[in-house]
Amino acid sequence: MRALASRLLQFVLTVWAATVAVFALMQILPGNAAQVAAGMSATAEDVARIEQEFGLDRPLIVQYGDWVTGMLQGDFGTSYVTDAPITPLVLNSIQVTLILVVSAMVLALLIAVPLGTLAALLRGRSLGAVLSGLSQVGVAVPNFLAAILLVMVFSLGLGWFPSSGWQAPIFGIGGFLSHLILPVFSLALVQGAILTRYVRSAVLEIMREDYLRTARAKGRTSASALAVHGLRNAAIPVVTVAGVQLATLLIGAVVIEQVFVLPGMGSELVRAVENRDLLAVQAIVMVLVFLVLALNLIIDLLYTLLDPRVRNAA
Amino acid sequence: MSRLSAAVAGTAVLALTITGCGAGADSSTGSEANADRTDIIVAHTAEPVNLDFTTTDGAAIPQALMENVYESLVRIDQDGEIQPALATEWELSDDRLTYTFTLDENATFSNGEPVTADDVKFSYERVGSDDWTNALGAKMDVVDSIAAPDDQTVEITLANPSNTWLFNLASLVGAVFHPDGVDDLANTAVGSGPYEVEEFTRGQQIVFTKRADYAGATPGELDTVTFRYFDDAVAASNALKSGQIDVIGNLQTPELTSDFEADDTKQVAEGTTNGEVVLSMNNADGIFADQTAREAVLHGIDEQAVLDTAWGGHGTMIGSMVPPTDPYYEDLTDVWPHDVEKAKELVEEAGIEGEEFTFTVPSRPYAQASAEMVAAQLEEIGLKPDIVTQEFPAVWLDETMTNHDYDMSVINHVEARDLLTVFGEGYYTGYDSSGIEEIAAAADEGTEEEYVEGMKEVARTITDDAAAGFLYLFPNLVVADATVTGLPVNAVSDSFQIYDLAWS
Amino acid sequence: MTTPAPPDSTASTGAPAADVPRTRSGRATELTFVVGLVLVGIVVVLALVSFVWTPHPPTQPDAAGRLEGMSAAHPFGTDRYGRDTLTWIMLGARVTLLVGIVAVGIAMLIGVPLGVLAGMTRARWLSGLIMRGNDLLLAFPALLLAIVFSAVFGPGTGPAMAALGIAAIPAFARVARSGTLQIMGREYIAAARTANRTPLQIAIQHVVPNIAGLIIVQASVTFALSVLAEAGLSFLGLGTQPPTPSWGRMLQESQQFLGSRPELAIWPGLFIAIAVLGFNLLGDGLRDRLDPTLRGRS
Repeated sequence: MRALASRLLQFVLTVWAATVAVFALMQILPGNAAQVAAGMSATAEDVARIEQEFGLDRPLIVQYGDWVTGMLQGDFGTSYVTDAPITPLVLNSIQVTLILVVSAMVLALLIAVPLGTLAALLRGRSLGAVLSGLSQVGVAVPNFLAAILLVMVFSLGLGWFPSSGWQAPIFGIGGFLSHLILPVFSLALVQGAILTRYVRSAVLEIMREDYLRTARAKGRTSASALAVHGLRNAAIPVVTVAGVQLATLLIGAVVIEQVFVLPGMGSELVRAVENRDLLAVQAIVMVLVFLVLALNLIIDLLYTLLDPRVRNAA
Repeated sequence: MSRLSAAVAGTAVLALTITGCGAGADSSTGSEANADRTDIIVAHTAEPVNLDFTTTDGAAIPQALMENVYESLVRIDQDGEIQPALATEWELSDDRLTYTFTLDENATFSNGEPVTADDVKFSYERVGSDDWTNALGAKMDVVDSIAAPDDQTVEITLANPSNTWLFNLASLVGAVFHPDGVDDLANTAVGSGPYEVEEFTRGQQIVFTKRADYAGATPGELDTVTFRYFDDAVAASNALKSGQIDVIGNLQTPELTSDFEADDTKQVAEGTTNGEVVLSMNNADGIFADQTAREAVLHGIDEQAVLDTAWGGHGTMIGSMVPPTDPYYEDLTDVWPHDVEKAKELVEEAGIEGEEFTFTVPSRPYAQASAEMVAAQLEEIGLKPDIVTQEFPAVWLDETMTNHDYDMSVINHVEARDLLTVFGEGYYTGYDSSGIEEIAAAADEGTEEEYVEGMKEVARTITDDAAAGFLYLFPNLVVADATVTGLPVNAVSDSFQIYDLAWS
Repeated sequence: MTTPAPPDSTASTGAPAADVPRTRSGRATELTFVVGLVLVGIVVVLALVSFVWTPHPPTQPDAAGRLEGMSAAHPFGTDRYGRDTLTWIMLGARVTLLVGIVAVGIAMLIGVPLGVLAGMTRARWLSGLIMRGNDLLLAFPALLLAIVFSAVFGPGTGPAMAALGIAAIPAFARVARSGTLQIMGREYIAAARTANRTPLQIAIQHVVPNIAGLIIVQASVTFALSVLAEAGLSFLGLGTQPPTPSWGRMLQESQQFLGSRPELAIWPGLFIAIAVLGFNLLGDGLRDRLDPTLRGRS
């Protein structure tokens, strides 16, 4: 219990440090936010007026305090560029990105677990080598190349799925899924290749464990022995890696979001950067960083929970 | 869980249940079924950051809102002619100073209020106020006074006669607002046009719905028109091919034109624009302050080859800052013929062989493609361009346009009749405008014939002075489902007009 | 550390396959290493040769010979400007390698000393501080930093390399720390301490040479990741800017020709894959060669 409390405290402190880091990072951005908002033809008075309007003339520590207090209440402020509240934009884009990357990771696991297990069981045979080789190649393919090819074949060629766009589930589940499927596959094929290698390695590790040798000695086949004893133990490292990969994908999906014109966090970040919408950049970066930290926390907790050895040691 | 995470998690769950970024219904229904459709989806490239063109620069906002949501007293039709809009008729006094407009008595704003002369007075006086920060507001500087003798009559008096003012009035500076509708222009648009903004999802789309109570000059055909924004030009082409959108406002993947032309279910129309793709050179400072150096460049570049490689040959050679649709156009493409030998001689004469210079290029497909070709041609005549890519708009506007920190650049100047701006005093071209100012002023005040002749002389002087290279006139490549009618093929005004769009 | 880090420290950067090769047989390891070496060699040779010779001048446009298919004169065809694609692939190899070298260099030069320090110090607050800083940095993934950097410094190869390098620091620091912790108990360290060697001397003479293998493996994996990330950034327009040739941007620009000239996309895509695959395989192969304890287990 003490370990848990300490880990949570550590999480809160890291999140706090991250808010300072993100805020500081935004201060070194070139160009005065008010100048950017005022436009090219603005006079010095215009800029001063806008600075006052947005509270940019106050001490940094006060601005920082306001920003953090606002976030705690779920309010990211109003953009200097679009004159609109940032919170809805952030919430919508989180939703898109989370749906995209979580679906992709689930699909990747569905691909990786059987293939990786098979590759491990067939180790030393040619089919196993082929599977390993394929996973190596899959890791090396940029996901945007996969996306371009999938669009070419399944959208432009066969006309099965739309080539771009996003449709929220409340507007019809069919449209939602058909828009989702190609981007999810673009991410999942590459992630699946990565995970396949981890699954293979984890299964091989388990197969060396003594109890499996015993089981095999008792006349069971490798496969059934594995099914009975091994998979739960193999799951620990795989789940951990999948979680870490998920954290990376939150922003790693940006290229896929751009190719498929999905309004996810990566797309919104790139757009905010292009528009020099500094407050929006700050908000999106902070949310992404928070999500990564939260995911890492969950992974650590899951790991402690799943692995009896670690649990006992702690 | 910390308070922060609880708050974020809580709101995220809420968002999942109540919000959606609806991209609308799928429209891949095939051409047969299209005849009955009352909606259409149009793809555009540059997205509006907000709905307020009175304070925000850029072509995207007026493209969406002018003529469709906001109206001026007059508008520019597809042939470039001035037509009635909110004003049904107008008269010009004999001294050519006072315009008397008669307003359409049936015109109403989308909030139900009638459009009155006072609203026009309010709107046009606002252009000169601090509330209006878009630099284009300068087009109204010539206005001396505005009077509203009765609800239907507006009298606008100019400080001096102007041939260009009425034409300029058709642009965004002429938009008529309701006094109650200007509080939140960035997010809500209250206009008198045939459509109103139903939904604006930043970075994604604008949905326009037809106003049932519109009784003006340009009633809409379709009930719903959606502008969907594609940062990525290839994604827009793919979306049209796979039937998710119906129209591409201006195709940014010109190499795909032939694909669409070969497709019976699609139509391609190549219209004209006011966009001159200019190879600008810093006339005031650096290597190109010397006219001989600029002449060397102009002889050195092969505009047709630039157009062929950069934009698939779609576009028009112009040779001056004037598109063929303007009354004072003349063909000046022969003034600086492509002549490598001559160019090399001039390079030697100017003593600039092998000298490095800064070629700033905005991060837009047409500009980057044109610049690569231009740079290669300049290397051939012994120059050393150093290409510096600048993000457009933010960085290019700051570095090149505002700070004049460049030797050469390439940019599409999209505004109508903008040669006096681009080669005016203090502009980034650094052109010495003393030679054209008087001619231009006299032309603006003179008769229509004097105007045309005067402006021809201005354009010719600019070209003769080798003030800049005029690479080509940017084309308007409209690609659409074959059964769409009423496409605004020529982009000759600020607006992409949606009211004539229909299905056959 | 109150709770354990994930079992595989390099995984935190999204590094694929960090502990996979432990289970390889000796022959397969050899093959992995050789194939990796050959693929990396191809890229390196392309880049080196491009400094002295290319099939065609890189910026020689030819409006008449644009978008040509493969021929003897242009083995990979020509692009929209009529430029030779093979030439551009060769020049693109330079940027790919440059990005990898600089990113790995930054990450190694900062990450390894920090990791060694955290492993060697007896001051718990110091190692705690370093590792907490590490955790904080881990929350800024490479692409996120790169996008923010492109806003700060403008898009370009430089900011991209810096961002990728900084984002990879935690991986190196963790590997260096865990390697250091493992050998701190060894006799020769204790001997060096009794011989009154300064900690710096110990670090340089004993610690670093002993963890070099781990670092090199991490470098190879980071290299592969950087190549992929740079390609992605250039694809987005936030990486290498024209006119510098870059495989990611070539791929992006080739999209509108996919129907007519698919090879314009295939070549850069293929070479990105070759480079990434090469460095991944090299990393796997090196891991087993340099770490006999791991090989012994399989």
